[in-house]
Amino acid sequence: MWKFLTVFAVLAIANAAENVNPSIINKNVERSIDLNSQLVKITGTITIENTGKQAASSYLIGFERDLQGIVSFIGVQDSQKNPLKISSVAVVGQGTNELFYNVQLRQSIEPGKTTTIIFEIVLTKALTPYPTSITQKEKQLVRYFGNHYFYSPYTTRSQKTEVSVNSRAVESYSKLKPVSQTDSTLSYGPYENIAAFSVDPLTVHYENNAPFLTVTKLERTIEISHWGNIAVEESIEIRHTGAKLKGPFSRYDYQRETTANHHSIRSYRTILPALAHSIYYRDMNGNISTSSVKPRKEYIELELKPRFPLFGGWQSSYVLGYSIPSYPYLFRKSSGEFTLKVRLLDHLFDDMAVDELETRIVLPVGVSDIKVKTPYEVKRLPDGVTYKYLDNIGRTVIRASKTNLVEQHIQDIEITYTWKTHMLLHEPILVSLALFLIFAIVIIYVRLDFSIGKPEHSKKD
Amino acid sequence: MSQAGSKKGAVSKLNKNAAINSLIVFVVLLLAWVAGFASRLFAVIRFESIIHEFDPWFNYRATAYMVKHGFYNFLNWFDERAWYPLGRIVGGTVYPGLMLTSGSIHWILHLLHINVHIRDICVFLAPIFSGLTAISTYLLTRELWSSGAGLFAACFIAIVPGYISRSVAGSYDNEGIAIFALQFTYFLWIKSVKTGSVFWAVSAAVSYFYMVSAWGGYVFIINLIPLHVFVLLLMGRYSNRLFTSYTTFYILGLIMSMQIPFVGFQPIRTSEHMAAAGVFALLFAVAVLKYLQSMMSKSEFKSLVIWGGLVSAGLVFATVVGLTYAGYIAPWSGRFYSLWDTGYAKIHIPIIASVSEHQPTTWFSFFFDLHVLIPTFPAGLWYCIKHVNDERVFVILYALSAVYFAGVMVRLMLTLTPVVCMLSGVAFSVILEMYLREEDSTPAIENEEEESSQNPKRLYDKAGKVPKIIKHESKEQDAIGQNIRSIAAVVFVLLLMLFAVHCTWVTSNAYSSPSIVLASYGSDGTRQILDDFREAYFWLSQNTADDARVMSWWDYGYQIAGMANRTTLVDNNTWNNSHIALVGKAMSSNESAAYEIMTALDVDYVLVIFGGVIGYSGDDINKFLWMVRIAEGEHPKDIRESDYFTEQGEFRVDAEGSPTLLNCLMYKLSYYRFGDLRLDYRSPSGFDRTRNAVIGNKDINLTYLEEAYTSEHWLVRIYRVKKPDEFNRPRIPVANRVIKSSSFVSKKSTKRKKGTIKNKPVIVKGKRPAVKLQ
Repeated sequence: MWKFLTVFAVLAIANAAENVNPSIINKNVERSIDLNSQLVKITGTITIENTGKQAASSYLIGFERDLQGIVSFIGVQDSQKNPLKISSVAVVGQGTNELFYNVQLRQSIEPGKTTTIIFEIVLTKALTPYPTSITQKEKQLVRYFGNHYFYSPYTTRSQKTEVSVNSRAVESYSKLKPVSQTDSTLSYGPYENIAAFSVDPLTVHYENNAPFLTVTKLERTIEISHWGNIAVEESIEIRHTGAKLKGPFSRYDYQRETTANHHSIRSYRTILPALAHSIYYRDMNGNISTSSVKPRKEYIELELKPRFPLFGGWQSSYVLGYSIPSYPYLFRKSSGEFTLKVRLLDHLFDDMAVDELETRIVLPVGVSDIKVKTPYEVKRLPDGVTYKYLDNIGRTVIRASKTNLVEQHIQDIEITYTWKTHMLLHEPILVSLALFLIFAIVIIYVRLDFSIGKPEHSKKD
Repeated sequence: MSQAGSKKGAVSKLNKNAAINSLIVFVVLLLAWVAGFASRLFAVIRFESIIHEFDPWFNYRATAYMVKHGFYNFLNWFDERAWYPLGRIVGGTVYPGLMLTSGSIHWILHLLHINVHIRDICVFLAPIFSGLTAISTYLLTRELWSSGAGLFAACFIAIVPGYISRSVAGSYDNEGIAIFALQFTYFLWIKSVKTGSVFWAVSAAVSYFYMVSAWGGYVFIINLIPLHVFVLLLMGRYSNRLFTSYTTFYILGLIMSMQIPFVGFQPIRTSEHMAAAGVFALLFAVAVLKYLQSMMSKSEFKSLVIWGGLVSAGLVFATVVGLTYAGYIAPWSGRFYSLWDTGYAKIHIPIIASVSEHQPTTWFSFFFDLHVLIPTFPAGLWYCIKHVNDERVFVILYALSAVYFAGVMVRLMLTLTPVVCMLSGVAFSVILEMYLREEDSTPAIENEEEESSQNPKRLYDKAGKVPKIIKHESKEQDAIGQNIRSIAAVVFVLLLMLFAVHCTWVTSNAYSSPSIVLASYGSDGTRQILDDFREAYFWLSQNTADDARVMSWWDYGYQIAGMANRTTLVDNNTWNNSHIALVGKAMSSNESAAYEIMTALDVDYVLVIFGGVIGYSGDDINKFLWMVRIAEGEHPKDIRESDYFTEQGEFRVDAEGSPTLLNCLMYKLSYYRFGDLRLDYRSPSGFDRTRNAVIGNKDINLTYLEEAYTSEHWLVRIYRVKKPDEFNRPRIPVANRVIKSSSFVSKKSTKRKKGTIKNKPVIVKGKRPAVKLQ
């Protein structure tokens, strides 16, 4: 019931179209677009000025075109680095293709005053390989399509954009003056007095050999045991989403020219919690013997090598699991009430992009009054029931799913539930009872004589 | 019986001795089980819990299918991923006992919510059943000789390499459970012969049913038991007990064995099963005669026996021959002929001969697999012959036939092992009884075992044989002095210790390699794992189309299906010789001829195993001559084995090798780009480590195939078969073609009109299109 209400409320908020406050203008916008990895990371600071007569308490951030699918993360902070509340809204007078977020400012801007906010946006799948397929020896070139101007429902006085790419090999880039290139940075601007909703296409075509590795499906199962252990298992499907491999894969060339295989992915690092132990890395055919565990001070670094190097368009899948003690994650609040704080998503590799995540949290036997608090909006799937070793009462499984995630989504989910401590002894008692019964039956059986008659027996002797 | 017997006996006289005896029996059997289980775990500890080799992969895949889809769907399973384009009716062509066993264990465990993956059940099934085998061997030997001999036999079979070779953890094959079923059936049979009770005969038939469902080797039972009956009849040991047990066993066993879809009507229609039917008839004839004997005079009876015997024998023989001739009874199959004539398979069925485990056994492997048991088992046999009775006739026949079969085929060493363990158990028990009888101070385990062997014998064994043994022992005991006693005891204990050491060593070194994961040891003792098979199979499973068809030699069919889940053309089932020959022909033809076969068979990928980089000897080039032979058998016009040899008759891959070999598909696929590879600085490029030769054809170009994937150590090489539009000219993506034609249209309006029609086969007036002919 609550779920329905929440969904309804979210819909209601989304449907309530927002009006653009004409008195707000962007005094200065400084953007930097980071194209070094497979992700597009846009960070920037906006100085907002209120030219109107009334105090303004909210600000709209917009995205041009149909970025609905590729905006993975948006975070806004004020100048003191405090996160601000944002929500997705529609804007009056705009179509459904544009995406707007309403930022709830901490303090409303008085008329004539200015304030500064910092935003961070991560886009996935915004870089498209061009050419789309390359041979084993070729380098991977990608294109980025963006906007020379900061897309905003407000007029912008002055703005500057810096685009950084990870190599000097820039094939081409759009040149809206003033523009300059130094090393691996392209500087656009300053552009003055840009009208609201302005779009001017920006393209950068450059070499990018960073791993284009996408997790197409991630199923994360977290199992809580009140004996003091949390077992985590992630079943992962990955795919190289860069330029597809054209023609043959030659092992000879691959072995001889180790530096020339620019775009293939040999291995990557996964970071696990420092207390992780009993780590396993396997797939449907068993253990993958090519991995190494390096304990660091703050975390455990896992170097994972897929069974085969990944070239464009190739995919692989594996299961990674480990155990962690429960004390840093599970807290006892009051009598019978526990709070569990675990990560909804964890690190898989640097600059990761996850298409689909499903997190399942298996709670102990006999929990009740479950309350779930998620760090961001997720889709709650109906709760499941699972049976682990010797369970006769099922365990509740909390399931949540979300699409299009990045590193910024590595945050804790908080689950509060009531659980009686004596449930811990439920299964040991059942097992001992069963064993006792078996022994008792054997003892009785041995003492019974089922033979029909004695003569047959003595004849045998 | 001691458990069952002591259960009953315990009520009346809870005598201390019996309690200690049953405790000893229990402890020894438990320890044998644990030892047998533990010594089979080398592979799991060194590598991981994984299915081994080839056939187990199919069994595992079938089990997983059954667990997922249910038993009835499994019986109706038509596997379209095997034997493309024919497919395979799996349900009707497997012995489902193995799958059913692990499936029911899985079911029970999951009922209790013990969530074990089916793979782990499959991996550990054989080690667990080895314990049951030990127990049934104990029971059988106890029936034959004594409890002490039984304990020895149980300990032997728990660790003997000849049985371990087929039942290490991960070796998920029919034999793993079949040896248990075999021993248990024999135990129940002996029990029923001894007691003449219908109960034991029915139990034997049920156990036989399990055996039939588990392994094709059930034919051994259904021939050995009639042989036993027949020999007993010849020896004049006919009894009503024998009559009851055999008739019950045969009828029930026959009906039940026909319930297995794969066996079907074979028990009444093939020659392999006719002996059992013949003995069945004979037994009735003897029974009738015995009945008539009581009513007739001696001379009348004599003539009746002679004439009636002759007529009925002739009648039976004529019927069988007539039915065989008319086609109602199938004659002996080729696999059985190869048991009588070891050269038969090599000439007529190269597929059977190409498998190394179908080769005749070398004497070395007898010692390797059985060690001290080989010299001691004739002693046990001699004791059995000397003190012969109904059931010992059985074990004598068992031993003799198993020795013969083990000599014919390495694989059948497995059937010899249990009887060798039993008879060696008898021998050791007799010897130690002889030497340790009055030694109360010796605290050796053998002493305890020996003690336990005496008491149940006194309690339960047949009255007839006890005095015999005691007489025989007491005769010799007088001559044995104290020193000789202790020396003999020490020597035999040492022998047993050596045996245990040998077993562990053999298990660890010879039988514990999963063969899909290889390990090599560096000079400093570090272990390097070569995981190429799984690497390549996993690549196939992830990066090829779901319905891609993979052509490889049949050895790898089950592995490809199991690990890569892709369609294969031929696999280890080898039921269709001509299909295998076709694949062999493709492998041994040149590229263009092979391409025709491959397009005809819709092949998408070709997989070859190549060991030249790491020196792996079991690769496809070493198996290549068998491919040629099998192909030649079906296509003698196209493939000739002699073409692949040099003029001196050698099989060489270097520059002197025959040109046919150097240009055949298998050679090309194995050595593609290998000519460029230098493995180390001392050897020239293209040096094949397996065959210690520099390859003869270093410059290999492929027209119809392209390298799709090669594993890290080049062990598995996968090639993609090009589509007809891909070779000889670069493939133009559809998108580009569209652009070209659109530019063509736009150019038409400009003045460069002539240039665009240059290549068109349009005849301009007054000119011949001579350009096209170049």
